[in-house]
Amino acid sequence: MINEKITKIKTAIIDGDSALATSIANELVADPDSLNEAVEIATETIRDIGDQFEKGDIFVPEMIIAAETMQSFMEVIKPHLEGGATRVTGTIVLATVKGDIHSIGKDIVATRYRASGFEVIDLGVDVKPMDIIQSAEQANAQLIGLSALMTTSMPYQKEVIDLLTELNQRDDFWVLLGGGPVTPEYAEGVGADGWAATAAGAVPLTEPMLTTDGKPTATKFMKVER
Amino acid sequence: MTIDRDRILEVLDKTHSGPVYKERDYNIEVVSKNLKNAVTKYGLEKTADRANPVNMDDDLADRYYQAGFEAAINIGLMCRDTSRVITFNREELQAGIDAAPKEFWLGDGNQRVLYQHRKPEDNKLPVWTVPLSIAVTEDVFLPLVESLARIPQVDALEGPSLETVWGHPLRSGSPYEHLAGRYQADLMREAIKRAGREGMPMDAVGSSTTHYGVLGGYGVPGGYHPKHDLILILSIADFWTSYESLFKLTHASVTGGKYISASSWVMLGGYAGGPEGTAVASVAYTLLMIAAFQGSRTGVPPFDIKYMGNCGRRAQWALGIANQAVSRNTEIVVHSINNQVAGPATKMLLYETLVGMTNLAASGVSNVVGTRSAGGRRTNYLSPLEHQFGGEVYKAAAGISREHANSIANTFIPKYEDMLVEQPDGQSFQECYNVETLEPTAEWQQMYDEVRDEAIQAGLNFP
Repeated sequence: MINEKITKIKTAIIDGDSALATSIANELVADPDSLNEAVEIATETIRDIGDQFEKGDIFVPEMIIAAETMQSFMEVIKPHLEGGATRVTGTIVLATVKGDIHSIGKDIVATRYRASGFEVIDLGVDVKPMDIIQSAEQANAQLIGLSALMTTSMPYQKEVIDLLTELNQRDDFWVLLGGGPVTPEYAEGVGADGWAATAAGAVPLTEPMLTTDGKPTATKFMKVER
Repeated sequence: MTIDRDRILEVLDKTHSGPVYKERDYNIEVVSKNLKNAVTKYGLEKTADRANPVNMDDDLADRYYQAGFEAAINIGLMCRDTSRVITFNREELQAGIDAAPKEFWLGDGNQRVLYQHRKPEDNKLPVWTVPLSIAVTEDVFLPLVESLARIPQVDALEGPSLETVWGHPLRSGSPYEHLAGRYQADLMREAIKRAGREGMPMDAVGSSTTHYGVLGGYGVPGGYHPKHDLILILSIADFWTSYESLFKLTHASVTGGKYISASSWVMLGGYAGGPEGTAVASVAYTLLMIAAFQGSRTGVPPFDIKYMGNCGRRAQWALGIANQAVSRNTEIVVHSINNQVAGPATKMLLYETLVGMTNLAASGVSNVVGTRSAGGRRTNYLSPLEHQFGGEVYKAAAGISREHANSIANTFIPKYEDMLVEQPDGQSFQECYNVETLEPTAEWQQMYDEVRDEAIQAGLNFP
């Protein structure tokens, strides 16, 4: 019976059926021994969906709806998990910087983080540097992810880092940069902590940051070239 | 014709009275679902033909137009400043399309250019505008633009985009952009004067995506000319628009402007889904941009989200059929973009250009702006030679059949399709050109000569 429910989770996530996912989760919490396996299957399913997106077999709406379903499932399950069963997660503030209203790349990155269990504060597009910093403070975030799709908006990525430095808050957050014209050389040059070539690389880029004892300014620049 | 102020006011009123949506719900529940519904209703599932990247079926193109028209009515344009959707009913949408010009002249004196409606396989000469708004450093701007303006096949200028203004970083949405509007107009005029092509039409303003550059550079003394130059209105994101874009329209109106370029793009693999949904989205968004912004030239080309270009098979297919749908079913001046990803001094960039420009010429596109050298990713990574080649191909392909364009696509796509994701950056302008003499390096010239020969062997009649 439990196995059947666990299998159904996979179907619920693939079909984007949040009501079914929540209902299964509510039943599963009655049997704490099954939770780890259920989370593993759900994680594997969402990873497969991400891979299908990378291959071009499915598209953004399907991926977003699957991630939302995963989130609904995890919201019920998470409080019942033993400490060791949870994955490395954190809170990230994401924004497309001021003067730039490109959205879809950031939306995909947000979906990837949510699907991996991160708390995502998505500030949207055209966001002022200080608003990003204040939101990260309020959310008690560990990470700030900044997207820029134009060379004329890239200076605002640097401005966030400069403001953090001048406010003596640079080590409060890991700062990650992304976007079409943003190269790893640029990201490192302006003092960011990490860069990923694609949305798929964003979560793997983040994981070592959350497990190290090192501070951002004392840690070597990280990049994921995929 | 002039910009119709009453229509502007109607659109502005709609930004305050249309239905309200949250971002996620509009993207998923309105855009995505209505595109899917249109694809199903008009029997368009699995009609994208990877084996034939240039569509040759008129009936299919017409069904895409009908699907796009219906999707436009159901989706509308989301105004990000008010979170309300600007909607048009069937009669309003058709009235906007009917009011768009079939042809118009831009430029001045002996550099005047006729922008005219074309049908698929039309032998009327299309208009080639260069370059796209790729960032360049200030030292490169003048010699590069002069060199581009010297190319006989180039009819009009749009970019590039300045990285700095008088040495200061150009920041989007800031007063730097306001200064850049007029500064770019000055630099462009100087470049076309040096090239002996004074009066050449220009698109305002390549360096500024927000309205500030237009406010600073269009219709001001010494700036872009409201009667000879186009004002660029570019809505960035699938079916989204903003007051920034509407400010450009109102600025055109108050300065006596006559000609609007109303365009955007759709992401293949994004909210529009696969190639079929993307082609429907391209048609729908084009019609909405005409209705909302009174576009004189209008178009919404796709980008494939996998590699941020449109020279692969599924994107070429969507690009071709969407343009055929609009050019067959309206009389508007269709605008489009060929989005290459390889950089200068690579054969791949020329092959992408050959495939894309023949498809666009055969699919009824009146005016292409290009080239997206190195995908527009890197500062100074564009050169005159690929723009010369783009113009030569586009004009040589006027009048060719779609079967011929499809054969060219199938001959040359295999030469680069494995490199679309891991694309070569090539070389910068300073690396592949002598900036003093404005001549390409021997290596880059040889690549051009060899691909040009291949294009001639493929049946294109170059001058």
